[in-house]
Amino acid sequence: MPGNRTRKSSATAVVLALCAVLGGCSGPQESGGGGKVVLRYTWWGNPDRAARTQQAVDLFEEKHPGIEVQTSFSGYDAYKQKLATQAAGGDAPDVMQLDYRMIDQYASGGVLLDFAEQRAALDTDAFDTGLLATGKVDGRQYAIPQARGTETVVYDAKQWKAAGVAPPREGWTWNDWADTMRELARRTGEPGGTDPGWSEDAFEVWLRGRGKALYTEDRQLGFTADDLTHYWTFTDRLRREGAVSPAEETTQLDGTVENTPLGRGRALSDNNWDAPASGYLGLLPDGEVTLAPMPSGEDGTPGQYFKPSMFMGVAADTSHPEESVRLVDFMLNDPEAAKILGATRGIPVNETLREEIAPDLKDFDRTIYDYQASLEGELKAPPQAPPSGDSALQTTFQRDYDQVSYERMSPREAAENYITEAKAELRS
Amino acid sequence: MTTTHMPTTRRGEGAAPPVRPARRPRREGAAWVFLSPWVLGACVLTLLPMAVSLYLSFTDYDLFNAPSWVGLRNYTQMFTEDPRYWRSVGATLTYVAIAVPLQLALALVVALALKNMRHGKAFYRSAFYAPSLLGASMSIALVWRAIFNDGGTVDHLLGTGGWVNKPGWALLAVALLTVWQFGAPMVIFLAGLQQIPGELYEAAEVDGAGRRRQFLSITVPMLSPVIFFNLVLQTIQAFQVFTPAFAISAGKGGPADSTLFYTLYLYDRGFVASHMGYASAMAWVLLLAIGVVTAVLFRTSRSWVFYASEGDR
Repeated sequence: MPGNRTRKSSATAVVLALCAVLGGCSGPQESGGGGKVVLRYTWWGNPDRAARTQQAVDLFEEKHPGIEVQTSFSGYDAYKQKLATQAAGGDAPDVMQLDYRMIDQYASGGVLLDFAEQRAALDTDAFDTGLLATGKVDGRQYAIPQARGTETVVYDAKQWKAAGVAPPREGWTWNDWADTMRELARRTGEPGGTDPGWSEDAFEVWLRGRGKALYTEDRQLGFTADDLTHYWTFTDRLRREGAVSPAEETTQLDGTVENTPLGRGRALSDNNWDAPASGYLGLLPDGEVTLAPMPSGEDGTPGQYFKPSMFMGVAADTSHPEESVRLVDFMLNDPEAAKILGATRGIPVNETLREEIAPDLKDFDRTIYDYQASLEGELKAPPQAPPSGDSALQTTFQRDYDQVSYERMSPREAAENYITEAKAELRS
Repeated sequence: MTTTHMPTTRRGEGAAPPVRPARRPRREGAAWVFLSPWVLGACVLTLLPMAVSLYLSFTDYDLFNAPSWVGLRNYTQMFTEDPRYWRSVGATLTYVAIAVPLQLALALVVALALKNMRHGKAFYRSAFYAPSLLGASMSIALVWRAIFNDGGTVDHLLGTGGWVNKPGWALLAVALLTVWQFGAPMVIFLAGLQQIPGELYEAAEVDGAGRRRQFLSITVPMLSPVIFFNLVLQTIQAFQVFTPAFAISAGKGGPADSTLFYTLYLYDRGFVASHMGYASAMAWVLLLAIGVVTAVLFRTSRSWVFYASEGDR
């Protein structure tokens, strides 16, 4: 019957169409190079870190012929966005580098593997238990700290000497720092440093120097609009004086050293984390890149702290959990890998390795090691892991300060905006 | 254009009644078969996601944990607690108000110039159309950023510094990228211009009308349906601009939120801050807003759009 035929053919067409739809969704999941297990490993960082990480990964592949590691890296801002999208789509890389801010969110969202499931593949005996605990959420080990870092004022000592400005003295305060920035600007005509008003990290150092914190223990805001107004008024005044970078420079900051005013040759210092500061070696080839502590509060209270700077995590839905954890183990515990990686992510957390590689550290790795050693015992305990909303608030902070530095809002207005936004962010 | 065809089609259908009743069901079945890929696509890839997003707009959903119902909170937060939301609305409206008229004006001017061209018309038409094909791509947007960044071409030629780092100027740089893609409306204008009967111009010339007069009294009214079509289309597209703003501001919508267009902020809320519920609510408000703007345009069209078929009556 003709009607029947039509029905059949329409059914066939529907099935075909469905196949087309489904076919569009199923990607080439398991297709790898010649029966090898293929792992994806992603991180953020500068080209120096990329080169060394690749070298370590090559060594891993050599030792594990059955495993191929596909790597990719980018700047922090881009990495943060890409990873969030991948993770949400159920397509997180097998092994990923994580920030302190990401752990809470990704762990509670079921993106990360509990390392307890692969205990045999990962050795954590040489890790400080306190530091290891920073990778725990609800008592489960979702991430392993890879290194610890701390913030720094990084500058080229040669440029400062040429300008006739004295290097920072130990325990300098924010007012000392501001005076130094002014003097640098006066003598060279260039801003003394990056405008720290843009950076939530720098604000945290300033806040801790005054005995406060970004977040309270119950994960609410630990400061008021008055505190933020005070800070932004301070930085805004320095910007107006030309002592720190102008808005057009500051707005280009994106987490890479290449786009900082110092990296672009438009200022004489930067506030940054110690490990990424190694990127300045390539940008200031004739310079003498030096690390100074962040300024303290006026009464000498230090604001900076040793922060677990990066973590490694494994995707919960990886097809190769054991191999993935083995890669994590290799990156953290293998002596040869540790030698290659040096301090590119900060000083290693594996204490045995730290002592083992310390004498051999050279160049900038040595600089970072000595810098951290000089602060040992001086700093206060790190705060607990920030609430998951902090990742978004970090960007909000930058955007609100843009309004101040482009003189579209007063520090007070922008600070009140930020508090409103932060409360909404932390409520959810 | 379609209005003139409609009567004939109706008449054609009317001429066939004797055969129709018997064949009708079978014909429809076949139609559904041929339509099924599209219908399925529309249901699975458009209607279903839309329904889900409507539901999500009333929830708090961070992509990882199950959505939790929050009623109208996303909407009230948007309108009362989010100053950045209003800045993104302002930036979008400014952009639409600058980019759309400039683009249409340029498209019309070039179409007029091409209309009477004797040689190389096809070449120039293709050449001007090319940016419309390339313009939406990420790579062109990145080139644009390089051109307008400090130390870029514009900075070297004009000494203005980097536009992309100056609020106001950054928005103009994005708008220029849109204006540069005037090819699509230009081709439509060109087609519209060729439909205007030459007798009208001849008659006007006999009556002593100058070129200005001819343009205002013949070209503009006769072309008004095409202008209206382009205006609606480009306005709707402009409200949804994303790629150029994303690339030119390096994903930040900066400086000082000046290029934080609606869709960019929507993306930011959804994929960067992981507030999918809030982002869905924003998407629905955008849909309604575009609907309202389009309706208003249609309303005003009654007073300025002239259809030749109406003139006959």
